[in-house]
Amino acid sequence: MAQNDSILKINNLSVAYGHVQALNDISLDVKRGEIVVLVGANGAGKTSIMETVLGANVPVSGDIEFKGMHIGGVPVDKNVRNGMFLVPEGRGVFSSMTVMDNLLLGAHHNLKNSTEKLELVFESFPVLGERRTQVAGTLSGGERQMLAIARALMSSPEMIMVDEPSIGLAPIIVNDIFEILVNLNKEGYSILLSEQNVYKALKIAHRGYVLETGKITKSGTAEELLNDEAVREAYLGA
Amino acid sequence: MEILIAQIFNGLSIGSIYVLLVTGFNLLLLVAMIIHFSFPVVVVFSMYISWVVMTLTGSVTLGVVGGIASAIIVNMITAPMFQHIMKDRGSVDINATMVISMGMGMVITDILSHTFNQGFPIAFPDALTGNDQGALISVGLVSISRGQVLTLVIGVLFVAFLFWLLYKTRAGRAFRAIAEDPNGAKLVGIPLLKTGFQSYALTGILGGVTAVLMAVLLGSASAGLGDQLGHKVLAVSIIAGLGNLTGGLIIGLLLGILEAIIQGYLAGSWSNAIAFIVMLVVILAKPKGVFGSKL
Repeated sequence: MAQNDSILKINNLSVAYGHVQALNDISLDVKRGEIVVLVGANGAGKTSIMETVLGANVPVSGDIEFKGMHIGGVPVDKNVRNGMFLVPEGRGVFSSMTVMDNLLLGAHHNLKNSTEKLELVFESFPVLGERRTQVAGTLSGGERQMLAIARALMSSPEMIMVDEPSIGLAPIIVNDIFEILVNLNKEGYSILLSEQNVYKALKIAHRGYVLETGKITKSGTAEELLNDEAVREAYLGA
Repeated sequence: MEILIAQIFNGLSIGSIYVLLVTGFNLLLLVAMIIHFSFPVVVVFSMYISWVVMTLTGSVTLGVVGGIASAIIVNMITAPMFQHIMKDRGSVDINATMVISMGMGMVITDILSHTFNQGFPIAFPDALTGNDQGALISVGLVSISRGQVLTLVIGVLFVAFLFWLLYKTRAGRAFRAIAEDPNGAKLVGIPLLKTGFQSYALTGILGGVTAVLMAVLLGSASAGLGDQLGHKVLAVSIIAGLGNLTGGLIIGLLLGILEAIIQGYLAGSWSNAIAFIVMLVVILAKPKGVFGSKL
């Protein structure tokens, strides 16, 4: 597959919740092997984009293509089967369930080879292996984020969407999580990331889009955005 | 002392019926997100169907099969009605499901009191209840019937099966995920409607088995039985903590024992009132349930 192949392509996407317009004419793409970051304030529409791609929201208009297939309106379970997974904002792990159960939920659509997949996950995240019988509610914030990412891996995805992974984590843990994302990207996973920690996110991303109240106001390579006056002023405090 | 032992055993067998009913109610609440307090009415309806089949065919086996099948069918037929309301989960109030459940209960109770056996209570044949064979165990005042042993054993086995299903299988894992966080479950790719439907099928089987056990244990049924049980099941579920399966198990058994002891030592006809007064005191002391709500 050519490097320049888009795994995800969004054209003129609009989404509304009742009368509230959440996304307005969004176009973006993620190429295979890329980390693409969505930056913007709370309520700018980062989560809406991810949940709509996943199939949790139905678009008002516009088109979403995943691996060349039109997926607007396709339900979540089908999209997960097709190779995408969301690591939701606030981790979304089930705190009353064990680490093991949480991981197996990622493979809910296909439990075949789940033993092998579990072994791989425990190899990459030994701490999850040690705590496999513990309920997720007993894990620390960083460990929960690891669990949420590991759960995504259990689904054998090609593209992982990671929504605000740094929220509520100590800076040193954020570095660990970002390192994990970079390593996953090196292993071949395409990543769509949303972050309020704009500097750190642009440091690991290939490209980025800036969102303001449901619209894309700027896009470019991570380096371009890092050096952009307006971006620096609004998000980097410089 | 002998009376106490006998009544505790009586209480355990009727308690295991409560446990089955509460577990069905809680599963529907947790997984399908409906408050179906008429679930016991559906179960009593299945008792009636079972009785009709036994009367028409003279076969106990066919009656048992018919009773279980009718519970599953009623559950599956009514599921789309509930699911229509719940399609847009999160934005729809769970209260609407209560109205549907209430309406269903009234319709079924009316049908039972107008069309079956001219409204008289129905009696199940001895071939099912085993009442003609006398007590299975009889020591002094303690006398234990076949029906009681059967109800207790099958009740325990079925609840054990449900817990196995919930904690050891793929479907059970999905049930628990939805119970904890429906939106989170949706985001990991668990189809909410389909999984909800599975919980209707499961509670249908549960209801059918319960109907047969009730026929064996009680030997009779009347149109008003479902409502009466409905109140108790709702009370047990709330006292244990809504959606708390283990809590429902304990409180269900305790209610059975409490009622049996009241019947053994005080006037039997007051057992409902006294049991509800005790439950009233408990709920005043623990408004969120003894074991905590899982909702």
